[in-house]
Amino acid sequence: MDLFYAAILCYCLGVVTLALPRKLQAKAHYVANILSAVGSGLVLWEAGRLLLNNDSWLGLRWGAYSLVCDGWSAIFLVMTGLAGVITSIYALDYAKAYFGHRLRFLGSMWNMFLLSMVLVLLAGDALSFLLFWEIMAVASFMLVNHEAEIKTTWNAAYQYFVMTSIGTAAIMIAFLLTSTASASFSFTDLAQNTLTGGWATAVFVTAFIGFALKAGLVPLHVWLPNAHPAAPSHVSALMSGVMLKIALYGFGRFMFDFLPVWNYWWAVLVMVLGLLSAFLGVLYAQMETDIKRILAYSSVENMGIIFAAFGCGMLLKVVTDSNWCQIAFLAALLHACNHSIMKVLMFMSAGSIMHGTGSKNLELFGGLARKMPTTALCTFIGSMALAALPLTNGFVGEWMALQGFITLSHQGAAGQDIRLLSALAFILLGLTGALALGCFVRFFGITFLGRARSELVGRAHESGIFMRTAMCCSSILVLALGIYPAPLIKLLCNSLHISEYLILGNNERLLWGGSGSFASYNALLLFVLLAVLGSIVYFLVIARGKFVRREITWNCGTIPTARQQYSATGFSKPVRRGFDYLLKPKRQVTYVRKDHSYFGRLMSYKLEIPDMVTELLYIPLQQHFVRISAFLRRMQQGSVRLYVSYVMAAMVLALVWGAIYK
Amino acid sequence: MTDMLMNWAYCLGQALALLLLAPLVAGIIKKVKAALQNRVGASVLQEYYDIRKWWRKPTILTPYTSWIFLAAPCVYFVTTLAGACMLPNFFSGNMGLGDVFLFVYIFALGRFFMAVASMDAATAFGGMGGSREVYVAAFVEPVIMLGILSNVLHTNSTSLGGMTLDPAAANLTVASVLTAIAFFLVVLAENSRIPVDNPDTHLELTMIHECMTLEYSGRLLSLIHWASQLKLLVFLIIFSLLYFPLNLPLVLKVLLSACLVSVMEILNNKLRLFKVRVYLAAAGIMMLLAIVAQ
Repeated sequence: MDLFYAAILCYCLGVVTLALPRKLQAKAHYVANILSAVGSGLVLWEAGRLLLNNDSWLGLRWGAYSLVCDGWSAIFLVMTGLAGVITSIYALDYAKAYFGHRLRFLGSMWNMFLLSMVLVLLAGDALSFLLFWEIMAVASFMLVNHEAEIKTTWNAAYQYFVMTSIGTAAIMIAFLLTSTASASFSFTDLAQNTLTGGWATAVFVTAFIGFALKAGLVPLHVWLPNAHPAAPSHVSALMSGVMLKIALYGFGRFMFDFLPVWNYWWAVLVMVLGLLSAFLGVLYAQMETDIKRILAYSSVENMGIIFAAFGCGMLLKVVTDSNWCQIAFLAALLHACNHSIMKVLMFMSAGSIMHGTGSKNLELFGGLARKMPTTALCTFIGSMALAALPLTNGFVGEWMALQGFITLSHQGAAGQDIRLLSALAFILLGLTGALALGCFVRFFGITFLGRARSELVGRAHESGIFMRTAMCCSSILVLALGIYPAPLIKLLCNSLHISEYLILGNNERLLWGGSGSFASYNALLLFVLLAVLGSIVYFLVIARGKFVRREITWNCGTIPTARQQYSATGFSKPVRRGFDYLLKPKRQVTYVRKDHSYFGRLMSYKLEIPDMVTELLYIPLQQHFVRISAFLRRMQQGSVRLYVSYVMAAMVLALVWGAIYK
Repeated sequence: MTDMLMNWAYCLGQALALLLLAPLVAGIIKKVKAALQNRVGASVLQEYYDIRKWWRKPTILTPYTSWIFLAAPCVYFVTTLAGACMLPNFFSGNMGLGDVFLFVYIFALGRFFMAVASMDAATAFGGMGGSREVYVAAFVEPVIMLGILSNVLHTNSTSLGGMTLDPAAANLTVASVLTAIAFFLVVLAENSRIPVDNPDTHLELTMIHECMTLEYSGRLLSLIHWASQLKLLVFLIIFSLLYFPLNLPLVLKVLLSACLVSVMEILNNKLRLFKVRVYLAAAGIMMLLAIVAQ
């Protein structure tokens, strides 16, 4: 079956909608998005079918260059296809806002972006992988930079482009190093490589830098919270939901196929950086007031959890060389799938809020639930999933990751350091879980509940039918996979070629025996129990309860105003003070007018929380580079005679060198 | 099939029994506290009277609230009840809902709803309660996770039944005593007791949990109070089963730890909010030491 070709054709047709005349831009927009939806649907169908049948696909083949699809790429193709369908439907409404602002270009680049992601996943050799990886980077850069008139967007896009180029360079080095020890550039030959010792470590380091940069792991995450908010929302959804996962795909490809023997410290590095990203990501997420930056930092957190679970699996494999590592790899992959769905949902919700109010500043919202009930419900479900609460798919991955770490803590024979590492993991995962809960309580509560904090809310309106459809589909998936995760887990087991019986007790129940006896989680039973008890309580308390009056809240004799509510910045104040030794908030309060010490005051309040990594790493690095360049400028005086003498000097040096080392 | 149904019935029955007992335990704590302060104090049944009183009263809502405001107490109550179902069965077996991680996260589900609903009435107090609850939770959660790890390291199981201490193995070692102290501190923080929170006052500077419930009335309020009492009882039982380092009958252990709560409450003042992190960090360090000492 060659549905992949059909999908590629759809995307290509979508790309050429750019050629339609400007008069037809609305039609071009619909055609492009329908084509991308169809193409993604075909990818989803075909990759899903391959996974279900435990099959692989061999496409074009020309020398060492080929398009192939095996288990590991199929699961990522399923993610891409699913997210592509949902976001393309969403874009039918959402992208209309760009009417007259390069709408055709947006549709065309959208298809290009999806096409490049699908082709990266299908690439069967290093050269095409790098080619499509670079096209993906360029397409996403174009999309991030779509509103290039805004200075911050422009800056964010260029920062992204520089960072991603560094990442591509690192990946390129990794591939080149691997290929020096193998017959050709095709993945099958690269898998037969004869790398050992220091060379293998070099490949690991460069590949990890490259893919961690794309995944947004601390300290390489700095581009992410700038680029994601700058892009149009459906693009951020796809970038966060899928593109970050493709980094996991590439990293997994290297780890499973090209470097099958791992060092102890590689695994520790991956795990600890993952855990740090999870903790710092969510900590900064709670400090932000821009809804899309919150979600971007939350992506850093979740990619951190995914890589931490992956590192845990590597460590288990290194320490025990048994099948115990399966649970951690499965957890990483499952959380990647689930995060892809819920982050797409949340970015679409953020887009819907921006569409309805025209702002992405949390401080201006409040009480939006009455104006946008569907968006509110979908955001609520997405928030629950991102806070990893039971009955959503977020919890299933979290549960498995925790089982992975418990399994790790039981490898006592490997020494005390394993036990301490797992203790560290539990501290950071506990912090992450609780902070994520706080972060999304704040996100949802400040946006949708209470009273309006600005007049923007009064003018807000619910989004169009396609946007609502897309959000509802995602929400249903979040709940369905949270309550009945068995089908997805079966697919993932096929993808990783592991036996599902260890992990699925039966279809309803997850089972894992890593700690010596079996731990289980039965989401379906939990759902039934909560639903039954909940309906009894609902009947007794809400349906039969007496609700007499709607009265204004007692406020010590005054009428409460909307400004007396907690603001988003105020809500995160205790956490900000609790972690002030990490966050180092810079707070500036000045009195504009102060007639009396208690009332009649007018204050201006300014709060700045610089990103720790930027402060500690990038700014010193930048200063260092500036200093080096200032030094090197002395060599560049602009005089032709000087340059000629440099050439002479270089030649003499080369001759001397040649004379000494014949 | 009938076995499974019987098992479920036992678990539900156990949860309902605990639900009925929870106000009594809360009453006992208050009575002991009163006795220690040389007061007579209210009857141990007072909490039942309070719940009945609120149950009969109508609910007054503010004009700004949404469906979340109504749903939150129900979810809080139901998740706490589900937590009670998950306790290692006093009869035999268990319901098979899940392991200790689900147990922790199911309370997080209730907390999520309560904290979100705190912002629904559009008052300053609600947001204050929600934001502080989230802050305390951020420091409680890692210590709970360490407590779980510390237990699982020697019981080799993450199901609550398997984690239950073997009575014969319940002895005083450095690790078990440290874990028990640390977990008890966490139980106090998790259940909004002194020194982290004060359940008795409605003064804005001291309260966390009471802030969130300030705008509730009628049956919704009675649900919240009942659920909080049940949550305290469930955590005391978990403490007794999993961490209490002496070999005593369960009822005695629960009563002893309940008395310990009262003693802690009269011996301590409420901590300043930003000192809570030091208190919980101390608990965390004790847990870490216990993990290393095992």
